[in-house]
Amino acid sequence: MAGSLILDHVDKFYGPKSAGIHAVKDFSMAVQDGEIVALLGSSGCGKTTTLRMIAGFETVTEGEMRLNERRIQDLAPAKRNVAMAFEGYSLYPPLTVRDNIAFALKGARQQRSEVDKHVDEMAELLEIGPILDRYPVSLSGGQQQRASLARALIRKADLYLLDEPMSQLEPQLRAVLRGRIKNYLIHHGMTVMFVTHDQTEANALADRIAVMEDGVLEQIASPAELKDRPANLFVASFMGEPPMNVYDATVAQNGGGMRVVVPSPNGGEAIGVDIPSESTDVQGALSIGQKLRLGVRPQSITIGQGEDQALVLSNQWLGDQTHLVIDAGEHQMIIVSYTPVKEKAGETIPFLIAPEKIHLFTFDNGDAITHGTELAK
Amino acid sequence: MATLELDGVSKSFKTGDVLSDVSLTTGDGETVVIFGPSGTGKTVLLRLIAGIEEPDKGDIRLDGKSLVGMASDARGVGMAFQNFALYPHMPAYDNISSPLAARGMSKERLDEKVHSIAKLLKIDHVLTHMPKALSNGQKQRTALARALVAGPQVLLLDDPLRNVDAKLRYEMRLELPRLLSEFKSTTLYVTQDYKEAMALGNRIAVLAAGGLAQIATPEDIYLRPANVEIAKLFGEPTINLLSTTIETNSKGPTVRLADLKIPLDAHYERFQGRKVRIGIRPEDIAITREAREDALKIEVVAVTPLNERVVTLFKLADGTECFASAPDIQSSTTTRRHGAAYATIKTDGILAFDHNQGQRIEATAE
Repeated sequence: MAGSLILDHVDKFYGPKSAGIHAVKDFSMAVQDGEIVALLGSSGCGKTTTLRMIAGFETVTEGEMRLNERRIQDLAPAKRNVAMAFEGYSLYPPLTVRDNIAFALKGARQQRSEVDKHVDEMAELLEIGPILDRYPVSLSGGQQQRASLARALIRKADLYLLDEPMSQLEPQLRAVLRGRIKNYLIHHGMTVMFVTHDQTEANALADRIAVMEDGVLEQIASPAELKDRPANLFVASFMGEPPMNVYDATVAQNGGGMRVVVPSPNGGEAIGVDIPSESTDVQGALSIGQKLRLGVRPQSITIGQGEDQALVLSNQWLGDQTHLVIDAGEHQMIIVSYTPVKEKAGETIPFLIAPEKIHLFTFDNGDAITHGTELAK
Repeated sequence: MATLELDGVSKSFKTGDVLSDVSLTTGDGETVVIFGPSGTGKTVLLRLIAGIEEPDKGDIRLDGKSLVGMASDARGVGMAFQNFALYPHMPAYDNISSPLAARGMSKERLDEKVHSIAKLLKIDHVLTHMPKALSNGQKQRTALARALVAGPQVLLLDDPLRNVDAKLRYEMRLELPRLLSEFKSTTLYVTQDYKEAMALGNRIAVLAAGGLAQIATPEDIYLRPANVEIAKLFGEPTINLLSTTIETNSKGPTVRLADLKIPLDAHYERFQGRKVRIGIRPEDIAITREAREDALKIEVVAVTPLNERVVTLFKLADGTECFASAPDIQSSTTTRRHGAAYATIKTDGILAFDHNQGQRIEATAE
């Protein structure tokens, strides 16, 4: 059983509309049946408020929320057929972990043996077998979190709402559980919305990520799309590790064509990328002398070839990747290489930025103009 | 510029031994990262050097001269703590000058020192600001300036980037080595983040329960960890560990993993019959859809991208869970893959650890 969720122009005010806090602003999105969606943003961006409105812990000021075409915002939380793992929505202290998890199945009228089998499966998945007979008060934060997740995921519900579901787990366990939970969600066709401030978590689990900032949904797209076609400079710099390199640039004339130029503080050109003459769309979207911002991801810069030479400022090998900082005409540029780089700090290295790899944004509000040789939508 | 020597340093508290018999010598101007899980005495080590605690046994020498018993402020040691904490009621200038003011330095000399360090750290324009008016990056630099202003021969940094937001932590990780090299201070840097340790350390000293487990360059620690516990501390996702036995056939030494025999370097021949745990880094495993003779039959559990890499959790035929990790070159591929597939292993990166003791067994010829 699963469902589809629609948020239709949802607003949330705390306090009066004229003077209150506008926590969520005109938020619209549709979550497909069986889809896993992350709400991602820094603290105070409105992501948790959005989740709490869907759960029924907060009222909706304006707009509509529908689950399986049923308007839910006037229903009590228990009537929405939504399963939740929330930080504040804690385990029942007088029940063991096993009974806490089994309690979620009480409406399903299953045989005790059937329930036990279910709980044991869940416990194996989340590595909580050894603590099934313990009481919540004796558990660590990470164990409580997994018990709470088990209680939510074992239910049959139209929608699963998870609030920072793995924030308390130590990294090695988290890596394994991410994979197992994702597998479980996909296999059971569950519709999931989860909140996280951690883009790693969002990228690992979600089909699509809704990036929020200051109550506004900036973009909702697949992790790949957010990386390749960020809607604006905010999304572009927020997503990606290390963050995208961004420079102020201008469009210059280059023979008959165009060249995006980042000036050096000492005069001259620090970074320049020719717009291919066949990219007529891109050329049409730009004008000579236009000020804009040039973005290029650290993974998208080629080193070891190209005419431009740059001084290596640092070279940090991290086992599976190398992070370089180079001085490109007094501008620092971060580069990630998946093969070791022998040039050390103080040596020079050639680098190349291909026109297919650059992102251009408007200078004023940062809206995307082009991604590589394609126009932004 | 200085050489710091720890010679058989031990320290215990009522709760038990914290450090036992730690010896290490830093090179002149070297940055040594002190790395290890919590509770292994990393901070205690810094406190012993700073003179906040005294060792029970052993000696601490700076350029050959013992520091034990010497007053903290006479040691030539500068220290900055977690989060680079500042005095909130003092402007940046006073924060930076505080270690000098206590020494009764002339106002002109002090002023000159504060300005020269502030300029180098690019905070000379915010010296009159109170800490709350500084950006996080400026706070970090102010605290670093305070630790460096007295020109310490040894700089001790105790997990300075902990609890700092990810972006700033990353920026400082790139910038710190350059700042430190400007000052030519010998630096001991405590962290719990393996990437920070690899990025910042000329060498990394890995502390484990009971003492110093390994001190070596980042490359040696990652490629040639002394034991299985150290191997597990470096790398994300963590190294895959599989129990097996070294066998020898006509082609040389091999190990059996599920349904496949994997060739090992010829030097492993002398370990024939040894029960081992094989360590394979996720980046040395490639997932393919095609059946190949040298590939393991696997079942993909889930694809969970991590830091611009495609991380795949998969199961071997016997149910063992493993990770593979590859650069995300085609970011458009779906992350909903699961089901049967094949895995090939880059064998020259394989590590072998003694099954019981956990120490790495060397493939190099005797």
